[in-house]
Amino acid sequence: MVIRALLKRNTYYDSITLMSVAQAGKDLPGVEDAGAVMATEVNLELLQNAGLLPVAFLAEQQAPPGPEDLLIVVSAADESHAQAALAIAEERLNSRGDRATPVGATTLPARSLEMALQRDETANLAVISVAGEHAWLEAEQALSHGLHVFLFSDNVPVEQEQRLKALALSKGLLLMGPDCGTAIINGTGLGFSNVVNRGSIGIAGASGTGMQQIICLIAAAGLGISHAIGTGGRDLSEAIGGVMMRSGLELLANDAQTEVVVLVSKPPAERVAHEILAAAQLDKPVVVVFLGAASERFATVAGKAHLERTLTGGAELAVSLAGGDRTRVPGESTLHKDESRLAAEHTKLAPSQRYIRAFYSGGTLCDEVMLLISEQAGAVASNIPLRPEWALAAGETFRGHTALDLGSDEFTRGRPHPMIDPTLRLQYLTRAAEDPETAVILLDIILGFCAHQNPAAVYAPAISQARARAAAAERSLPVIVSLCGTEGDPQRLSMQRKALEAAGALVYESNEMAARAALSLVSKAASGVIH
Amino acid sequence: MTTSLLATDYSRPIQPLFEQGPRAGTIHSVFRKAVNIVTSDDTMLAVLSNELPRMPNSVRLTPIMAEKLLRHLQPGLEIWIGDGRLLILAHDLAIHLPETSAWEPRPEITAYHWGHETVAQHVRLLAYHLAEQQHRGGFAPLLEPLLLGQPAAETPLSLMALPMLRLLAQASWLQDIAGVEEAARRLAGLGPGLTPAGDDALAGFAAVMKLLSPQLSVDSASRDHIAVAIASVARPRTTALSAVLLAHAARGEVAEQVGDFLLSLALPVEASKAVLHAADRVLAFGSSSGGDTLLGMLLGLRALDGEIDKGGYYGHTGAAQAKYVL
Repeated sequence: MVIRALLKRNTYYDSITLMSVAQAGKDLPGVEDAGAVMATEVNLELLQNAGLLPVAFLAEQQAPPGPEDLLIVVSAADESHAQAALAIAEERLNSRGDRATPVGATTLPARSLEMALQRDETANLAVISVAGEHAWLEAEQALSHGLHVFLFSDNVPVEQEQRLKALALSKGLLLMGPDCGTAIINGTGLGFSNVVNRGSIGIAGASGTGMQQIICLIAAAGLGISHAIGTGGRDLSEAIGGVMMRSGLELLANDAQTEVVVLVSKPPAERVAHEILAAAQLDKPVVVVFLGAASERFATVAGKAHLERTLTGGAELAVSLAGGDRTRVPGESTLHKDESRLAAEHTKLAPSQRYIRAFYSGGTLCDEVMLLISEQAGAVASNIPLRPEWALAAGETFRGHTALDLGSDEFTRGRPHPMIDPTLRLQYLTRAAEDPETAVILLDIILGFCAHQNPAAVYAPAISQARARAAAAERSLPVIVSLCGTEGDPQRLSMQRKALEAAGALVYESNEMAARAALSLVSKAASGVIH
Repeated sequence: MTTSLLATDYSRPIQPLFEQGPRAGTIHSVFRKAVNIVTSDDTMLAVLSNELPRMPNSVRLTPIMAEKLLRHLQPGLEIWIGDGRLLILAHDLAIHLPETSAWEPRPEITAYHWGHETVAQHVRLLAYHLAEQQHRGGFAPLLEPLLLGQPAAETPLSLMALPMLRLLAQASWLQDIAGVEEAARRLAGLGPGLTPAGDDALAGFAAVMKLLSPQLSVDSASRDHIAVAIASVARPRTTALSAVLLAHAARGEVAEQVGDFLLSLALPVEASKAVLHAADRVLAFGSSSGGDTLLGMLLGLRALDGEIDKGGYYGHTGAAQAKYVL
C-alpha cells in the first residue's frame, strides 16, 4: 500500500468539486481511500487518524501546508494506481469548467453562448444584442470562440470597440458593430435587413440605413447582393481607423461572387478616408459613398475608386458597373413623374408655409436629407445637426427647416426604435401639421425584417387626417415619404406604397429624390430643384 | 475608459468598504457564480450572481453580468475598493453599489414572539427531517447520535468531531469559555469542503448563541460571548473564507437562507411545513455546508434548551474526551 499526495497552494474549489474529486479517486480500481481537504491542522490529524497522512510527501515540502492549501491524498495498492488516481483528480479539478448541459429540452432558447455552441458546433457567427455595458464581454467571448460577431448593441465604449476590433483582426474575424443595424451574409439577413436576391454587388458600410437604401435601390434595378457587411457607425472615425471597413473590403475583394464593391459611410476622418481609398484600389470596381462629401475633396487620392456623394448615386453607379440598367434605379425619373403634382401642391401653400419638417427613423437617411436641404435652402435645425449652431435648443421642437433623427439615443431611451414603434413620430407629425410654418412633412419608412409589420396601416390614416385638417384650414400640406424596402420584404413594398399614396402621400424609394421633392416645394420656383 | 457594472444589491457590512478611501486587495478565489476578494486588512468580500442567496459579505450582480465577468477573473488579480466602487484594474471594470438601501444580514429576531416550547418542537421535527435526507456528506452522520440519541458510526471524522460537538454544546450551556474554546479549536478547519464541515457547524452554532440566546435560553442568559469566543479561536485555524463567515456569524450576520430559517422558528407548530421548507433551503446550499450549518444551529438550540444535562442526547463514543463528555 502506498500513500501519494498532491498539494495545490492557495487553491480553492467549491465543496461539491472537492467531494467529487475524492469520490472519483475512491471509485478507481486499486485505490483504497482518497481525500481532498483544505490542509488545516485538524484535517492533517484527520488524515493521520484515517491512515492517509502523506508523511514523506509533507516532509519534502519547503513550507508546511496551511489552511489555504488544498491537499489531495490517495492510498492505493501500488505506485501506478496511486499516480493514476492523482492524475484523474487533477484532471477533474482542471475540467471544473466543463458543465454537462442537458440538451433534451431543445425548444428552450440557449441562455449563453456556450449553450448555443454545444447545440451547434458548426456555428461561425454570433449575433449579440444585449445592454451595451455588457456587450463587449459577450463579443469578446464569441471572438475567442472563433466566431464572427454581429454586434447590434449600442453604447459600447470606444475603448472596448478598439480592443474588440483588434482582437477580431488578430483572429481574422469580422466584428460588425457595435451599433450595427444591418448585414446580409451569404444571403442571410441580420438585424434590420431587406429581402433581396443574391447577386454580384458587395457592400461594406458604416451606416445601417445607408446600406439598406443602396440594397433596396439595387434590388429595384433587378440586381442582387453578394454580402452586405456592417462595420458600426464609428468604424471610420479617427479612434477606430476603419479597421472593419478594410477587413470587409478585403473579404469582398477576395469573394468570387462579388464583382462590384460599394463602400458607404458618413464622411470619415480625413486620414481614415485616405487609408480606405488606398485599400480600395482593387482589380474589381469600387464605388465609394462618403455621404455628402464632394468628389473633389478626395479626388487626388481616389485612384481607381469611384466617388459618389449620395446613396442613390452610389446605387446607380454600382448597378451600371455590374452590368445592369441604371435607369431602372428609381431615381431622377420618379421625380419628373411627379413634377406637375409637386407644382400644384406648391401653388396651394399659404405664404407662412416655408419650411421642411423631416422626421426620420434612419440616422444616415436623415443626414442625407439634411445635406441636400442645407445645400439648397441653408440651415437645418436638428438633434443631429450638421453644424453645432444648427442644434435644436432644449424644449425647441422646430426652428425653420428641421430634421429630427427619432432613432437617436435621446428619443429611444426607454422606448422602442421608431422603425418598430411609430408612436413618437405620429406625435411629431401632428405637431408639424398644426404649425402654420410647415410647408411639407418628410418621413422615412423602412421595411424589412425587424421593422414595423405594416407601417402604412399606421401612417396612412395619420397622413390622411393631417392633410384633411390642413385643408379645412385652407392650407395644403404635402407629405413626402422616403420608402425603403423591397417587394420581397414581409410588408411588401408595392402594398405599402399603394396605401400611402392613397392617403395622399408622395412616395419615393430614393431618399435623395424625396429630399429634392421636398425642396421643390419650398423653393421660390416650384421646379427649381427638380432640374 | 472604465466599464461600470451596477450591483443589484449589497449587504450592509460591506458598505463601509465602498465608502472609505481606496485600499488594495486581490481576487482570492473564483467560482462559477461567485468570486471572493480579500482586502489588505483581511476583510473578505463576495461578489455573487444574484441566483445565489445573499451572504453577509456579498455584493450581487445579475446572472448574465456575473457569469461573464467571473469568467475573466483569476485569483491574484489586483483590485481597489473604496471611493464608491470596486475597481478590477486588469479588465478596467468597476462595480458600483445601487442607490437602494443595503440588505441587513442580521435577522430581526426581536420583531418576533418566541415560544420556547414551540421552538423545541420545531427542533425535534427538524432532527427527524434531517435524518431522512439521502445526502449524508460532512457531519450529517453525526445528527442521529447528537440529536436523536442513536449510536454513532465510528469513522475518523466522527471520532474527532462528535466529542467536540458535545463539548461545545455542554460548555456553552454552562458558559464555560475554556470548554467552548477547546471545542472550537478542535472543530475549526475540520472536515471536507472549502468551508470545512466543522466551521459550518460552528457558524450555525455561533449564530444561534448570538441571535437567539436572549430569547430562548432557559436560564435567560445571553451567550453573546460564546459566539465571539468561537470566531476568535477558529480564525487562525481555518481557511480565510471560513474565518470571515464565522466572524460574521458571531455578530449575528448570516446568509439570507439561514436568517429566514431562524425566523421561521418563531412560527407556530401548525406552520411546521414552512419551517421544513426553510430548512430545505439551508440544506440546498453547497455540497454539505448547508447541512452542517443546520446541524450547528440545531445543536445550539438544544444547548439553549438546557437539556444538555438531562442525558439522552449524549451517548458515549468510547473515546476519552474532555470532562463534559458523558
